[in-house]
Amino acid sequence: MKLNVSDLSFSFDSSKVLKNISFETAEGEFLGLMGPNGSGKTTLLRCLTRYLPARAGAILVDMKPLHTMTDREVASTFAVVPQSSSTDFPFTAKDVVLMGRIPHMQSRLSSSRREDADKALAAMTVSGCAHLANRSFSELSGGERQRVVIARALAQEPKALLLDEPTVYLDISGQLEMMDLVAKLNREESLTIIAVLHDINLAARYCDRIALLNQGKLEVLGPPNDVLRPEVILTVYGVDVTVRKDPLTHDVFVMPRSPTVLSTKIGRRIHVLCGGGSGGPIMRALVDGGYSVSVGVLNVLDSDYESATDLRVPIIAEVPFAQISDDMHAENLKRIDETPIVVVTHFPVGPGNFRNLEAAMYALKAGKRVYILTGGGGARIDFVGGKADAFIGDLVDAGAVKIKSVTDMMHIIGE
Amino acid sequence: MSGIGKVAANSRIRRSPVRFLCLLAVLLLATFFLAIFIGAKGPIGSDDIDEMRYSELFDAILDKDSERLSYSTTAIVWAFRIPRVLLAGLVGASLACAGTAMQAVFRNPMADPFIIGVSSGAAIGASSAGLIGLTVVVGSFTKPMLAFACAIVTVFFVYRMGTIRGKVQVETLLLSGVAVAAFLGAIVSFLMYSAGQQFHELLLWLLGSFAEPRWSYVWMMLFPALAGVIIIFLYGRELNALLLGEETAHNLGANPETLKKLMLAVAAFVTAGAVAFTGIIGFVGLIVPHMMRILVGADHRVLVPAATLFGASFLIWADSIARTILPGEELPVGVITAMCGGPFFLYLLRRSRTGSVIS
Amino acid sequence: MDRMLAKKEFTVWITLTVVVSSVIAFTGGYMVGATTSGEDEGILLVDDYGRTIKLDKIPERIVSTAPTPTEILFAVGAGDLVVGVDEYSDYPAEVLNITKVGSYTLSTEVIISLQPDLIVSSDLVPIAQLELLEDNGIPFVVLATRSLDDVTKDIRLVGILTGHVEEANALADSLEARIEAVTEKTQAEGVVKPRVYLEYYPYWTYGPGSFGNDLIALAGGINIAENTTSEYPMVSSELVIAQDPEIIIYTIGYMTTTTAEEISLRPGWGEITAVAEGNILSMDDNLISRYGPRIVDGLEELAALLHPDLFS
Repeated sequence: MKLNVSDLSFSFDSSKVLKNISFETAEGEFLGLMGPNGSGKTTLLRCLTRYLPARAGAILVDMKPLHTMTDREVASTFAVVPQSSSTDFPFTAKDVVLMGRIPHMQSRLSSSRREDADKALAAMTVSGCAHLANRSFSELSGGERQRVVIARALAQEPKALLLDEPTVYLDISGQLEMMDLVAKLNREESLTIIAVLHDINLAARYCDRIALLNQGKLEVLGPPNDVLRPEVILTVYGVDVTVRKDPLTHDVFVMPRSPTVLSTKIGRRIHVLCGGGSGGPIMRALVDGGYSVSVGVLNVLDSDYESATDLRVPIIAEVPFAQISDDMHAENLKRIDETPIVVVTHFPVGPGNFRNLEAAMYALKAGKRVYILTGGGGARIDFVGGKADAFIGDLVDAGAVKIKSVTDMMHIIGE
Repeated sequence: MSGIGKVAANSRIRRSPVRFLCLLAVLLLATFFLAIFIGAKGPIGSDDIDEMRYSELFDAILDKDSERLSYSTTAIVWAFRIPRVLLAGLVGASLACAGTAMQAVFRNPMADPFIIGVSSGAAIGASSAGLIGLTVVVGSFTKPMLAFACAIVTVFFVYRMGTIRGKVQVETLLLSGVAVAAFLGAIVSFLMYSAGQQFHELLLWLLGSFAEPRWSYVWMMLFPALAGVIIIFLYGRELNALLLGEETAHNLGANPETLKKLMLAVAAFVTAGAVAFTGIIGFVGLIVPHMMRILVGADHRVLVPAATLFGASFLIWADSIARTILPGEELPVGVITAMCGGPFFLYLLRRSRTGSVIS
Repeated sequence: MDRMLAKKEFTVWITLTVVVSSVIAFTGGYMVGATTSGEDEGILLVDDYGRTIKLDKIPERIVSTAPTPTEILFAVGAGDLVVGVDEYSDYPAEVLNITKVGSYTLSTEVIISLQPDLIVSSDLVPIAQLELLEDNGIPFVVLATRSLDDVTKDIRLVGILTGHVEEANALADSLEARIEAVTEKTQAEGVVKPRVYLEYYPYWTYGPGSFGNDLIALAGGINIAENTTSEYPMVSSELVIAQDPEIIIYTIGYMTTTTAEEISLRPGWGEITAVAEGNILSMDDNLISRYGPRIVDGLEELAALLHPDLFS
């Protein structure tokens, strides 16, 4: 099925809920609809099912305008799986699945129940709930009920499956089973899937494309890698996130950071000399504490480089795997000149970055306060044959202060 | 409420609903014939010494104008018992079927056919007919006609109150129904208080009675009742969908607005017809759908015919008891429906919840 | 667009249902509406509902469905024609052995099997049940006795119905004379009319338009409830205290639950003149609630209670 939505708008009374939404889906596509609460995702689904009447714009299903279709045609085009289903009335799971045959009812008088029963059973087999057929629907678990509802949707023989946050009430294994089932239907039955999803990582993992809605507008539409970028998520959700790639699948995944990250306090400047992943916690603590942090020479691809990028800390960077060049070293010293405090972390020292220690000595000589963070659990940090340890001893002699933990560090700097 | 949801889904009845429906049909037929033999003049339920004999009654049923029988025997059978049993059956079927539809529309197992003001409207009509003495002037059809008209007007008013921008809001509708019923109930109480000589007539009507079984009532009820039951049955699949919510019904291709309006109209019409002739017979429309739901489940394609058939049998039995339990007198049938139906329903409810009944 | 369609479908269904059922309803109504009526010379009369009743001959088997017609039938000497009476008929004593035919709901089967040729009923019985019996060949006459004039009028009417014209007229004449004798004294100039509270059940009394109200007036009293709105109102203590009756009368019948002592002990009633002066009296309920010949006994007794000086 090919779906064209152009210039779709919808409003409740005077408030516009959807503003000029346009997009298309390809045959057999898995499209995720995302966006903050109230961004119009569910309303968009309801416009597709015509439960809400679109005020302006056009929706075409295989080039046929949606508003010319009968209710039953719509129901055999789109089948909906809601967040959850419940009823006070004693339906069996099979009763619920049979409801999916309503759009295909030939006439009220002829029942043709044989065919309906067969199709219902087939749908339950596909969604893995055939064994529940005679169980009471209201006694099933949340996950079982969602499988039954998916079977009902399949019994509708739709061209597209619309899912509205189908996993919110499920535990983590239920969520994965559910999404795997939907993905299987997408693959094997080549059903177009349009799913409202809250969980960004589930969306990133399963969707072909993601449409990100914000305040009724379509903000971005594209493959997960393009859509799920920190700056996009920051504008739409107002949340600072770290985006990484799963090393096994190369799917992106997103980790939220503390939402208070953007402190308004503009504090003293602090320069951090670090590397090899040793600087993350202290940079994070300093940024959260409201200090104006910069970081000394780091190689691109160093994990501290990534941390600093995420924290939006200015970096003096060197090309990957290269020694610190004269230029960058000079840049580093220049930054130290502007900074009253320098923090040296417990970083692995090799010939390539030895100059960062020299920079610390430069700072001491220039009368700056230098703190050396010794935490890290005794990992060997000296790759230059004892030269580094000796140099650190010199630093201490020259007035650098050793501090055991990030917490202590924050206390001392704060005084 | 959720207790009703727990049902022995593997019961024999649920696996072969058609056989169960046939059983109910046979029960209704048997009930119908048996009830003709029950009455003050016997043979069943009489303490009269010169009661009618079974053979006389068989003859009277078979031959309406039999020469060999006394006029009183054929008159009792053909002018009183048969129309009375038919009327009770029709009213029982109508109320039970309308109750089933209302419970689906309101998605509430506590709904009954009177919930949108049918009974209170009809009561106003019936009591004012009695009070202004129209029954005497215009004839005995005045009361049913006025009751019917007032019921329909009331329902329409409640419907308008519960409809916002063309959409039926069931919660609002329910509350409007309750409010209107309370308001009209107060008026009826006032009318009863000032009814004077008509007090007993009004009281009887309010409690429901088949004491005036006319063939004309039977004919008048027959078509609306049949049509109503058939329409509700034909929309059984959509009613199923409606019970999972209006949006779900819409998504399954059943337009919930059309469905609600049609069902409300049909149920109100059928109920108003029943109430107009026989007064307010409570309990049947609430309890019979429940009993059947416990036995056959919530699928309306089985539930609607089951409730209809059983509702008819139930009310015929209740009326048979009402007209024989006190010698020479009649109890209002509404008293019997509540007295017999209540405990029986509780029994079914408890047994179905403990899981030992229908397995 | 589909809303329009839905609306249309809905409207069509409703219209169809209404039209077809009304057609059936009307034809059904006429089918059974036609009833029998005799054409020969016989009895032709108009009952208290204004219905014209034609009887081919004097009835031989009569069912009475209320105490008042029963008492009138027996009083005019037609008691031997009565083959069935209602549950409440208990006067005269012969009635107790007659077949019972129900009360407000009639036992139609018993009535039919008695094969009566006339039913005499009162306005207490729902008319629809009577009409149904009439449709099956049993005519009925309704006595809606609402005043003393109605009593004598109904007695004469029952006389015509049963062929006891002379006895009925004699009875009616003597009753009228007795009424005249009472009112002559009670309505005479200079008679002081006491305020009266007549109670048939605690706080329930007779209002305007009721028999009790008329009886009090004829017996020479002023009913304290004569300005209420309903025929059988329930009154408040406040009204009774404010109206300050000089005589309180409670009736003794099957509903009686009270005594003179109970009445005098009602909160606030101690100040009422009747209570203070010990004028709490009682009388037989049947004498004022049965609108047959005995009602005149009731009038005489009531008058004697209100004016012991005039009727010593």
